Amino acid sequence: MLVHSFKIDHEKCRGKLACMRACPTRAIRVREGKAELLSDLCIDCGSCLRACPSGAISPTTRSLKEVKNFKYKVAVPSPVLFGHFPMGVTPAHIIEGLKSLGFDSVWTFVAEVALVNRAIRNHVEKWKGRYPLISSNCPVIVRLIQVSYPGMLEQLIPIYPPRELASREVKLRFSEKFGIPKDEIGVIYITSCQAKTISILESAEGVKSNMDGAIGISDVYNGILSSVYENQKKGNDQKFLSKDLLHGSKDLLHGMEMLQWSLSKGQRMNLQGYRYMSLTGLSNIIHVFDDIERGKLRNIEFLECYACWGGCVNGNLTVDNFYVTRSKLQRLMAELPEKDPWVESEVERRYAKENFYAKADIKPPLLKSDVGDIKERISRIKQAEEMLATLPGLDCGLCGAPNCRTLAIDIASGESQKTDCIFYSKDRLEKLRTIHLNNKS
Amino acid sequence: MAEELFRKAFTIYGGNFDRAGESSTEIKEKLKDLNIDADIVRRSVIVAFEAEMNVVMYTNVATLNFIITDEDICLEISDQGPGIADIEQAMQEGFSTASDEMREMGFGFGMGLPNIKKNSDFLTIESDVGKGTRLFARIRLNPDACT
Repeated sequence: MLVHSFKIDHEKCRGKLACMRACPTRAIRVREGKAELLSDLCIDCGSCLRACPSGAISPTTRSLKEVKNFKYKVAVPSPVLFGHFPMGVTPAHIIEGLKSLGFDSVWTFVAEVALVNRAIRNHVEKWKGRYPLISSNCPVIVRLIQVSYPGMLEQLIPIYPPRELASREVKLRFSEKFGIPKDEIGVIYITSCQAKTISILESAEGVKSNMDGAIGISDVYNGILSSVYENQKKGNDQKFLSKDLLHGSKDLLHGMEMLQWSLSKGQRMNLQGYRYMSLTGLSNIIHVFDDIERGKLRNIEFLECYACWGGCVNGNLTVDNFYVTRSKLQRLMAELPEKDPWVESEVERRYAKENFYAKADIKPPLLKSDVGDIKERISRIKQAEEMLATLPGLDCGLCGAPNCRTLAIDIASGESQKTDCIFYSKDRLEKLRTIHLNNKS
Repeated sequence: MAEELFRKAFTIYGGNFDRAGESSTEIKEKLKDLNIDADIVRRSVIVAFEAEMNVVMYTNVATLNFIITDEDICLEISDQGPGIADIEQAMQEGFSTASDEMREMGFGFGMGLPNIKKNSDFLTIESDVGKGTRLFARIRLNPDACT
């Protein structure tokens, strides 16, 4: 069974169906009043996590306490973090705040973004296969293609995202510097969404990640803010709430490239001259992928895709309103140069030496082996169609499947019964009454 | 002789650009539900879509028969359209009789028939100018098997 970026707590689950209705790949069923995940279908988008009214679904991120077990602790923050907090809190404050939470060092992946940008440009330049190429930074998009559009796998850019390269560099650099083994250095990604944890726990290409876990922005937000206020109270920081957006931060962010990356249009500047399209929001992306699968959009060379509407700034572990975050990031970017000499020199120094390509291909999921030969499969599909014709077509979800069509397929494959539909069973209605009315406290 | 296991007929209307591609989407869903190999699904969908687009662009109405046998996926499209005068020429990449309006909409780049050929294992086209065209494409379920 696949590892996922969230877990469902059956104790807390009240069977409210919200997760099942929100799931874009129909990967949730509610049986006996409890949500169950069909692991093979889940793409880790976190729609269920957002939708759950009972707090039963939580991300598989780490806690600050767990991180303390590492000898040397390095935080690698998503650039989205710098768009958080009130205006007076600068990137330098945020980095100090992270250290106050117990991290020994903070690594901003400025150079890695520039390196990845160059690697992507090279890949696009040399590409001879099918278009459009598709960005692989968002783990949900990788899973979506793997699960629902396996015919498009070769179009995914097989280049590591900056967070992964940064972690590799961090481990290398600090283990040399302090003479300690790499596994005693904890590299923790400060993430805007839960999905990044799957690329750590179980990467699509099946190669071990250099990161040791992720902590949500929402889990460090209060800590950072209170450390900033404390410093201010002590008088250590006169400049707090000054109008200087970047006070003390220019050397931390260098150029604007990294912040651009977080705004879901990171490749627009990088791939100037190419036919480029930026897409955010899972339903929009699915619509476009359907078109691509039919052979449309061949003239687009590059698609930048982020599952969250608006991009990573709207990830479900962010805190501030995403429009505010985006606006702050844009204001920071306006203060920064497009290119930075230090970044350029780092790219020159590292590009030829490092490998940016994922070590293994992403494979489509194995076809289920227990599905029978084509004859059996067709007879099942026919049964499902006949069954569907007898169902009410209201997609009420009370059977525990997201719609009548899914229930019909589940029945044909022996996983559900027709009596799960309340129109065919009084017992079912009684059972639901017990779960949702009688047991109400 | 292959045994027919499933058949569905779709009617496609010419000039119906807003709904073009619906049949191929349904075909895709069906093949995915059947757990067919991803590459075979992809190729079948491209063949169906290109054939559908040809109908939408050049004829009034056509029937698309989608057939699954124990050996292959068959797509059979017959119309009463203008017909193709020179099939060999039409099979060449880039050859197109599409109007400027169609090109502006992003269609008619002369890749339709070549794409159908490229993605199918077997293809026949019969056409009578003024009477209509019948296209028959097969995609083998087991690419390694000899048929």
